[in-house]
Amino acid sequence: MRKITTKIFAILFILTVSLSHAQAKKPTIMVVPSDVWCNKNGYMMEFNNQGTKVKIPDYKRAFQENADLLTVISKINGLMAERGFPLKNMESAIKTLESESAENAMLTSKSGAGVVESPVDKLKKVAKADIIMQLTWTLNTAGPKKSVNFTLQGLDSYTDKEIATATGTGAPSFSAELPVLLEESALAHIDNFNVSLQKHFDDMFENGREIIIRVKKFDSWTGDLEKEYDGKELSSVIEDWMAANSVKGRFSTSDATENMILFEQVRIPLYDTTGKAIDARGFAKSLQEFLKKAPYTIPNKLTMKGLGQAVIVLGEK
Amino acid sequence: MKKQILTVLLMLIASASTFAQSGKQKKADKATEAWRYEIECAGVGTDGTYLIKVWSYSKKPSIAITQAKKNAVHGIIFKGFGGDGRGCSSQKPMTTNPNIEMEKMDFFEPFFEEGGKYMKFVSESTDGMVDASDRMKVGKEYKIGVIVSVSKDALRRDLEAAGIIRGLSSGF
Repeated sequence: MRKITTKIFAILFILTVSLSHAQAKKPTIMVVPSDVWCNKNGYMMEFNNQGTKVKIPDYKRAFQENADLLTVISKINGLMAERGFPLKNMESAIKTLESESAENAMLTSKSGAGVVESPVDKLKKVAKADIIMQLTWTLNTAGPKKSVNFTLQGLDSYTDKEIATATGTGAPSFSAELPVLLEESALAHIDNFNVSLQKHFDDMFENGREIIIRVKKFDSWTGDLEKEYDGKELSSVIEDWMAANSVKGRFSTSDATENMILFEQVRIPLYDTTGKAIDARGFAKSLQEFLKKAPYTIPNKLTMKGLGQAVIVLGEK
Repeated sequence: MKKQILTVLLMLIASASTFAQSGKQKKADKATEAWRYEIECAGVGTDGTYLIKVWSYSKKPSIAITQAKKNAVHGIIFKGFGGDGRGCSSQKPMTTNPNIEMEKMDFFEPFFEEGGKYMKFVSESTDGMVDASDRMKVGKEYKIGVIVSVSKDALRRDLEAAGIIRGLSSGF
């Protein structure tokens, strides 16, 4: 009996220790050349979208052909790694995606079954990160004098907010080559960028992670968000749930119709009640469970995008 | 007897000059605490360092020069510095909490004391030589501009390890 009690206490102790050291989910950051830079340097793909000419950046070609881009990204990656925050490398991410696609195409089971991939799965297979460090530079020349205008923007992939920034023009030089000027610019601006990034993280630890939640409905479902439960519309029920579960009740309903609701600036706790680190999906899962239970009993499907975006589609799995 | 009087006199003079020196040093330390110094960017330093010019005030130029090192580290932690508009970019302070100096007094007092740990992160880039245009007499005291190099990466790591400032990945 004593042995069992000791074991139970030991397990409880380990659990308490592991939960007290729970770490919040770490966002991924990736340096991406801006559309402006890609356009100015001719790294764009053009295609006809039902009569409209659309230009999109050709990142793969930019990485293969522009050595200066590699120099800057490598310098920024190195500086960030030194600060204890290694970045995701976009060039490697693109290569991994390509090799994964090839592997999926070739992968078969012993019975000959292939790997299933829906159109949505395919759509989601892009190089992505939670925070994008958007990089732009332009070379200014005045006679033999050269200087670099350098801009680094930290963009939250989900809320579309610019959470960090650093910009400026470097010292003009008669002799320095472009890679040297670019390296100097990266060195001169990375600290200011990191100060604003740190402020964003501090705010996140204090007020919770900011996410976006969308609630939609399948057309096969007969109900909608105006359906009433005990005299209250479903959209109001969901809003009440949001107010009760977000940090300090902070969220804004940006859009609401009978078919969809968009919640923006939703502040979610970094850990759930058991001390487990959660993201948008973890938070939306609780809403999913809530809607599945009586009196609502609405079957629904939950999808996610990174740490900061979740979509619940009502009506079916 | 004469010899004894002479020895006592010499000792008195020596102690008086030491006292005066330490008094001036204390005054300079008080000026640092009262943020009475100016920092400006002096160029892009090598990887992991800031190259800055620090303007310090003292009645004795030698004290202003030595105080420049302390002011440089103090300024980088709490004050930040401005750029010169000719390619030198301004930098924000390392700490975002304006009250940290008071809150963590136990750490900062020994850190900034004479010969304290701050010395580990700063070096004079001109070997103590001050340009004539950087030596100004303002009223009864001197305003001296000294170019120093501060190992900001090492300084930040030290402050992070001591829990004074948060690292980018702390909490994750």
